[in-house]
Amino acid sequence: MSPSSLDELIEALRCLPGVGPKSAQRMAYHLLQRDQRGAARLGNALLHALEVLRHCARCNSFTEDEVCPRCANPRRDAALLCVVEMPADLAMIEQTQSYNGLYYVLMGRLSPLDGVGPRELRLDKLIARATEEGVREVILATNFTNEGEATAHTVASLLGARGVKVSRLSRGVPVGGELEHTDIGTIGQALIERRAV
Amino acid sequence: MAAAKQRIEQQPAWVLHTYPWRETSLIVEIFAREHGRVALVAKGARRPHSQLRGVLLAFQPLWMDWSGGGEVKTLVRAEWQGGQPLLIGRALICGYYLNELLVRLTAREDPHPRLFDAYAEAVRALGRGEAESPILRRFELALLQELGYEAGLANEGDSGEPVRPEGRYLYIIERGPVRLEALEEEGAALDPAALGEQPLLSGQTLLDMAAGDFSRAETLGQSKQLLRMLINHTLGGQPLQSRRVLKELQEL
Ligand SMILES: [Zn+2]
Repeated sequence: MSPSSLDELIEALRCLPGVGPKSAQRMAYHLLQRDQRGAARLGNALLHALEVLRHCARCNSFTEDEVCPRCANPRRDAALLCVVEMPADLAMIEQTQSYNGLYYVLMGRLSPLDGVGPRELRLDKLIARATEEGVREVILATNFTNEGEATAHTVASLLGARGVKVSRLSRGVPVGGELEHTDIGTIGQALIERRAV
Repeated sequence: MAAAKQRIEQQPAWVLHTYPWRETSLIVEIFAREHGRVALVAKGARRPHSQLRGVLLAFQPLWMDWSGGGEVKTLVRAEWQGGQPLLIGRALICGYYLNELLVRLTAREDPHPRLFDAYAEAVRALGRGEAESPILRRFELALLQELGYEAGLANEGDSGEPVRPEGRYLYIIERGPVRLEALEEEGAALDPAALGEQPLLSGQTLLDMAAGDFSRAETLGQSKQLLRMLINHTLGGQPLQSRRVLKELQEL
């Protein structure tokens, strides 16, 4: 390997969140020196995932098919649509086993100061999904941060104006907390106590 | 000369914005009463059980301690002052607008205690659920005055004579309020295109603004246009993200 391909690897690793030049260098040396099999596996998995994964046409989460297995499952209640920020939030709600409806994953949150608005979040796609026939209630399960609250308010007013019944996770989750890091009992209770907005 | 390492304690401050730093930390942009806008690194604040997680929220009054002499200081302590409900709904979106104005238009470590008080009052009023427009106009005006638009609203720009309530005015940047008749006499091109977004202002609007009174509907409408023009001018044409977001929401 010429030094330039080493530099390229280090530079490429820096695209990971929280990875600066020093950590990138450490990772590169580790992969090349200590764990070449792991490195090959990582490289292949990354290329493969990029190749086959796309956004589910129904829930916007990652899937290999046009529609993901969860959205295609006839045993789930299609009248309920739960809106979450990230796939990790969806996984957390699934773990509560308190919810059998479908999901919509925003893949982010409204953050005006970071330039993330309705266009970047593709809220038009959510509106189209939530106003489909058969959706009886939309449950907003965005985080209880300012950004999560702004997202919930925005989605609620957009859907409310279109006659969709909207509820919000009740505030059992600590203020400033994020679903991914909250205990499951709290999330389950918050689902039970969801309120109209 | 190396900046002296200093420790600041118990500063009243608000979080304006945070963004991730390294694996588990946050960079926090704050607005502190005696120090203005300061960037702090909050070490470990993104760890799952960090005590700081629930404290470093925008629109909540805090007491903060920090240390260090570089451009980015180290957060030592953040304590919740309390007494301020979380902003919700439209008030929350308005809050983002206030924060973006401060981030974009104030320089780092430039103290603005008067502006700090105006900001605190605006956020508290938003928290009380008061009408949003007068809150925003009052804050925009306080911000512009702090940035040097001290030039009176209550006096004509050229003559210094008191503005007449029944007069009609244009506000010319770096000149102040000028009576429409005076402009016509000058033969200034009153072509609307040349005037751009210049709003026509009644003298009463200017006097109300100078007195901080936004109770008249006409004052509210005309001052919104005037303040927007002045803020756009101060921003040098760079659009505000929060304004774009609000506009996009209205279009959906
Ligand atoms: Zn799906």
